Order: sequence, then structure tokens, then C-alpha cells
Amino acid sequence: MLENYFPVLIFILVGAVVGALPLILGWVVSPSRPDSEKLSPYECGFEAFEDARMKFDVRYYLIAILFILFDLEIAFLFPWATIFKEIVSTDTIKWFGFAEMMVFIAILVVGFVYAWVKGALDWE
Amino acid sequence: MAALHEFLTSLFGAATPTIWIVLQIVAIVLPLMAVVAYLTYAERKIIGFMQVRIGPDRVGYWGLLQPIADALKLLVKEIIIPTGADKALFLLAPILSIVPALAAWAVIPFSDTLILADVNAGLLYAMAVSSLGVYGIILAGWASNSKYAFLGSMRSAAQLISYEVAMGMALITVLMVSNSLNLADIVRAQGEGIFASHGVSFFSWNWLPLLPMFVVYLVSGVAETNRAPFDMAEGESEIVAGFHVEYSGMAFAIFFLAEYANMILVSALTATLFLGGWLSPVSFLPDGLFWLLAKISALLFFFLWIRATFPRYRYDQVMRLGWKVFIPLCLVWIVVVGCWMMSPWNIWK
Amino acid sequence: MDFKSVVFYLFSAVLVFASLRVITARNPVRAVLYLVLAFVSGGGIWMLLEAEFLAITLVLVYVGAVMVLFLFVVMLLDINLDRLREGFWSYLPLGATVGALMALEMGVVIGGSYFDLFENRVPALVTDSNVKEIGRLIYTDYVYPFEVASVILLVGIVAAIALTGRQRRQTKAMDPAQQVLVKASDRVRLVSMPSEKLEDSVPQAGE
Repeated sequence: MLENYFPVLIFILVGAVVGALPLILGWVVSPSRPDSEKLSPYECGFEAFEDARMKFDVRYYLIAILFILFDLEIAFLFPWATIFKEIVSTDTIKWFGFAEMMVFIAILVVGFVYAWVKGALDWE
Repeated sequence: MAALHEFLTSLFGAATPTIWIVLQIVAIVLPLMAVVAYLTYAERKIIGFMQVRIGPDRVGYWGLLQPIADALKLLVKEIIIPTGADKALFLLAPILSIVPALAAWAVIPFSDTLILADVNAGLLYAMAVSSLGVYGIILAGWASNSKYAFLGSMRSAAQLISYEVAMGMALITVLMVSNSLNLADIVRAQGEGIFASHGVSFFSWNWLPLLPMFVVYLVSGVAETNRAPFDMAEGESEIVAGFHVEYSGMAFAIFFLAEYANMILVSALTATLFLGGWLSPVSFLPDGLFWLLAKISALLFFFLWIRATFPRYRYDQVMRLGWKVFIPLCLVWIVVVGCWMMSPWNIWK
Repeated sequence: MDFKSVVFYLFSAVLVFASLRVITARNPVRAVLYLVLAFVSGGGIWMLLEAEFLAITLVLVYVGAVMVLFLFVVMLLDINLDRLREGFWSYLPLGATVGALMALEMGVVIGGSYFDLFENRVPALVTDSNVKEIGRLIYTDYVYPFEVASVILLVGIVAAIALTGRQRRQTKAMDPAQQVLVKASDRVRLVSMPSEKLEDSVPQAGE
């Protein structure tokens, strides 16, 4: 099994090289004549007047939490979906395997409806 | 092939398998880069024709050398690192955005036998790797120390993660009918069915029975790659260029490369998961790599087409589409497919 | 040393280095990025154990989702590290005790299985696909923990919304649909009343 993943490892390394090589090449070939105006952050012609790394809206934070939770639900759904055909074709666990995931999804839907009703999914 | 392998063995000895893999990777990456270059040309040409313009036609015959001229221009442009930027992270960000766009190609099956890494969990791997693309964007915005970049990256990141949920759920239905996480197996499963046995496997591919999920996946793919009409992360008229506003020269070029490589990747995954990968639509034509390339090209044309057609969404509309339309639709369709497969009318036996 | 060991030591070295940098990096954003690196190397080590589903899920969930939240939070809170470092020495004894206890517990668990003190060795279950094997187990033997997990996720959703709950609207965006529904009679009331004379109401200057 592991030998199948070896090309993946190599591919990631090659990808990093493909990313880094043009940067280095550009660094070597291109001129470097910095001045303070050129290096100032873009601000539509104004002087930058405060630190750009400002605090931002809590909504982004909420979206990120909801994303984690739904991502986890998907991670749980993956193995089930992968063997669902086997579940369907095995008479003994057919309904059991189907029902348990329906319960899982129903609980997920409760959370989703709660988020919807509470306006957590609104972006005004 | 065998002769080449022998030659390599004489040259590198024990390291031959590794060299062989590297060569295969290069055989994927180099054409990919060429396609990216000419995708930018195709984009300008096609959108030009759609808007009754000619598009680039100065550099070379029909403007065919335009992408090369662009690349050379970007190469000799100064890489500006703004004051107050976090230098290391600023340069790391473009690399972090190109690596996932390339690394996911390791598991794409090009034909029945032509696949670099035939791993069991191929689909999961592709999903995990493409979920890492968000780091390049967040870091680019944060490291630049520019308000526009920061705003753009935050918008972009929130948009990416929202649509990733919809994409993941759409994939669940594909898995349910395929019984495997291996991309090649998923393609093979699409070659079976009632229509396929009558010679038109085109109607047995996943796009028809999973049509809503196909639409969700494709539209989410457009949103994931930050393409128009979901390109508010770089809405020129509002926040100039979004997260890469401070990037110039080759550093910018890599972001550009990553965006287009991602577009091609999403097209390839859509073609593999919903449009039967390398399978031929009708039985009297042979299967092969050609079909996959044709499907990818058609999907890429679709990407360009909607860019020319639709106006940009507003940000709240994007979020509403992702969370309030796609996710409920996916949940419903998972249950529908589940019930379908439990019923006597199950077509995936 | 075979190639697998080389990869293992490489990943472990990166993991240890990254973990150290997580707690020593001055810049919180960098600390989060080192944590990302640590998770990716951890995923690599799990992959070496042939736990492909867990390895990729670790990357998918932790790196792809949890760490994005961490980055958001670190950026959102604008943490001042110098203030965080103030109480370092007074917290050191407590922190060291907790750390030592954890190290001890881990030593017992890992050392125990190393010296074959436990008998419940995990059988190698990689036959065809790791994911399918996990699926067969979760949805048959471990179905109650599985349903409990979904309830825990539900609690997570509710808690997240309750904690970040916003009572007031923060934007002044108008809803055009409601705006056009307004009738003049809702906003302006015309009152007819007899005209009045102005008497003594204007104060005289100098009074």
C-alpha cells in the first residue's frame, strides 16, 4: 500500500520545486531598485495610516467553526458512503445500516436548522 | 519504453524507480504548464469573440505567442516586497498555493492503466490536498500588510471553506453509487449500467442520476477557484485585486499559475467523477486518454463561457448560495440516493 | 536502515522541530503555521502505519479546517505576545507539573505496548481498503459511539452559535423589498388644526 503513496510524496516535492524555481529565477533575472514609495503598501494613493492587520468581523470566525463541524460530519459520512453498496446488498444489515445514517443525518439537520433559524448563516 | 527503462537503470542503478517516477511527474506537470499558458490565451480569445472583439493578435501568428511574451514580461519584472510585510511568509504564500494545485494531479486516472499513484483513498486525498489551497491565500493577504490584500484574503478564505462543505457533500453521493474511493474504480463503475449495456454509456455516467450534485459540484468548483462570477475576492472595482494586490513579477505569476492549474484540476475531477473520465460516450468508439482531455476542454470552455456571461455575485449572495441552497440540496440528495438504492428500483447493483 | 525508517525519522524530526517552534515562535501566525507543519508530518507518520484513511482525514480536518479557524482566531484577536509572556515564571511550576504528568502517562502507554505488557495489540486489518474496513467497524460494532459523535457535533454547532451570537444587527443595510412596501400613510400623518396666533412665546431680548 505504501509504495502507492511514494509517487504522491515525490509529487509534493516536485510541486514545491515548481513553485520555488520561478521565484528564484525571477529574483535573479529581474531588477531590484526599491524606493520607499514603491515599497509602500497600496492604498489608492493615500499614505497607509494604520496597521493593515485589523480585527475583522466575528462572522468569519463563526463560518470557520461551522465549516469544521460540517467537515467532520463529511469525514464520518465518507466511510459509510464507501461501503453503502455492500450494506444495501447484505440483507442482514441492510435496514440497520441505512437507518443509522439517517439518524446521523437527522441530528445533523437539527443543527443545521438551528443555525439557519438563529441567523448564523445570514451574511446581511 | 522498456529500452528507456533499461537505459535509466544503467545510468542511475538503484535510484531508477525514483527517477522513473520523477520523469512521469514531469510528463504530467510540463503539459499542464503548457495548458495553463494557452488557457490564458484561449480565455482572452474566446471572451474576445463572445464580446465581438478579436482578442490578442499582435504577438506571433493569431497572437499565439502571447502567453510566452506574458511569461517573459513577468519574469523580468521586479519582485516587490512591501514594507511591513513578513518577508518569509510573503514568499512562501505563492508556493503554498501552487503545491496543492499540482499535488492533487498524482491521483487523477488518465486512462485505464495510465495513473501515477493508484491509491485506495484517491478521492479523499484529492479533497484533502485541495483543501490546503486556502493557506496560500490567507498567508498572502496577511503577509502583505495591506488592507486590500487582507480583506480580499479573508473574503476568499471564507468563500473557499463554505463551498468546500458543499463539494464534500456532493462527493458523498458519488461514493454511495461507486463503492470505492479510488478514482479509477469510480470511473469504471460509471461504465456499467442499463444504458451502458445498450451501447450509450454516456447516459450511465454519474451526471444523469446525480444531476443536482453534478451542478452543485461544478458551480462549487467555480467558486473554489475564485473564478467569475464568484471572484469577489479579487473584485477589481471594490478591493482592486484581492489577496495578491501586493504581488508582482514571478511571485504574481505563481498565483496566476495556481489559479489556472486549479481550474484545470477541478475540470479533471468533474470529468472523472461525473462525466466518465476516459470512457467513451458510445460503445463503437474506443475509450482512452483522448476522451478525458476532450471532457476537460469542454469544462474549461464552460468556465470561460460563464465568465463572459454572468455579472459578479454580491458577497452575501455567494454565502447564501453556498450555505442555504447547496448544503440543504446536498443533504436532501444524499437521503434521496440512499432511499433510491434501498428501493427495488436501485440501478447501481 | 530501510527507506521506510528513513522517512519515519525524517517526518519525526520535522514533527519534533515544528512542535518546538509552535511554543517558541514569537509571532502567533508563525506558531500556527508550525502547528500545520506538525500535523502534516503527523499525517505522514500515520501513513507509514498504513492508516491511510486516518492520515488523510487528519490533513483534511485538522490542517484543512481546524488550523484555518486557528489562523482566523489568531488574526481576529490580534494577540499581544509580550503581555502573554508576563506571567511565565509564576505559571511555570504548574505547567511543568502538568507536562511531567502527561509525559509520564504517555510513557506508560507507549512503554507498555513496547515491552508487550498489554495484550490487546491492534490486528493489522489492511486487506483491501482501509476506509471500507473502518466503515464496516463503525457502522456495525461502534454504532452507538458513532451516533453519540453526531450529538457531540450538534452540541458543537449550538455552542458555536450561542457563543458568537449577535443580538443586534451590525449593518445598516436596507432591504429594498421592504422599502418599496412602505405606504405614505405609515410614515406621515397629516393633521388638520386651526392656525394659532403667536403670543408671548418669543422671549424679548434683554429680559
